[in-house]
Amino acid sequence: MNEHDTPDARILGLEPEDLDGHTIEELSDYLEAGCRPPDPAIDESPGCRIALEALERLRRLSPELLAADAEAEPEPDDSWVQRILSGIALDAHSGRRIPITVPVANADLGITEGAVRGLIRATENALPGVLIGKSRFDGDVTVPGEPVRIQLDVSVPYGEPIPGLVDRLRHEIDVRLRDHTTLHITAVDITVHDIRRLPDPTEEDR
Amino acid sequence: MSREQNRSPLEAADDHIVAGRAADGDPTAFAVLVRRHTPVMRAYARRILHGTADVDDVVQDAFITAWEQLPTLADPARVRSWLMRITARKAIDRLRATRVHADVTDLEIPAPEGTSPQARAEARAGVAALSDALQHLPDAQRQVWVLRELGGGTYSEIAEQLDTSESTVRGLLARARKDIIVRMEQWR
Repeated sequence: MNEHDTPDARILGLEPEDLDGHTIEELSDYLEAGCRPPDPAIDESPGCRIALEALERLRRLSPELLAADAEAEPEPDDSWVQRILSGIALDAHSGRRIPITVPVANADLGITEGAVRGLIRATENALPGVLIGKSRFDGDVTVPGEPVRIQLDVSVPYGEPIPGLVDRLRHEIDVRLRDHTTLHITAVDITVHDIRRLPDPTEEDR
Repeated sequence: MSREQNRSPLEAADDHIVAGRAADGDPTAFAVLVRRHTPVMRAYARRILHGTADVDDVVQDAFITAWEQLPTLADPARVRSWLMRITARKAIDRLRATRVHADVTDLEIPAPEGTSPQARAEARAGVAALSDALQHLPDAQRQVWVLRELGGGTYSEIAEQLDTSESTVRGLLARARKDIIVRMEQWR
């Protein structure tokens, strides 16, 4: 240990003989564990410390490489998006069949779970800035009259009082589902997942 | 770059909302995911495939599988890393298929070096040095390093994907790190 002032001479030493018997594999594991629990044999070895620093630099650089690569990729255009959408089965997630009870003998009506989710999502059109995420039905929707609880995630615009907005959304959903289904909805649980600042309309015409 | 028309208001929502909604079967939300994550998936696939021309096919396949499997995604907020894992699987499948046919027809079309998106990305020195070091790694080392460091894969996932053992993955990863560090030091 007489090389303190010439670290460059040792900087490429990554073999066990340079690392006081340790290996790069061991040091990588140690680094990934946050250097915990502390291992004095590693911490007090200058060779290991140099290697750890190099590994740490490399680790910090990796996400930067991916970010730079991604930034250099062309922005996906509409034809790319269309190419993918044309390859997917749009009815893949239609889900269970939800019966619609009608006061007519021998009638067998139903609506898919996917279509009901679509109805729920469409309510956002009545409330500018509200975006509806995932919706879940708690309760057996395939059995007529079963109590069903609806849960959904929403994103709301910044600046609008949330309780009033959520009440209006709940009301909209209730009305739509009453109009189009015979589901026995006991509650609509809404989780406001995020609040977005809407773009300034004066900046629209760029 | 001109902005495309018909942008959805969903573009402003985070992945939790958008992926949750796509999992419910909304193609508009899925289109937002496609726009948002295509660049990073392309970049990742390009690093794994290393100079083959199949990047777009791999990313397209990955999205089609993603659409089918979205309802199984437990946490929609983590859709990006989930998409990356699917991309890795598709890219490796592609590599395997290419290897089988390699002696019949030459399917590996090397990307023109100077014009690849990566080449354009290498503005900053550290990133450029790392990129250069990666180009020189043997295929197996590079794949393991990319799957681990860019894709965030676990040792067991990577071992399974590459049809090898965890200890082989660890060994390849250690050699890759060593080679990269040495080459980056020389590059300075």
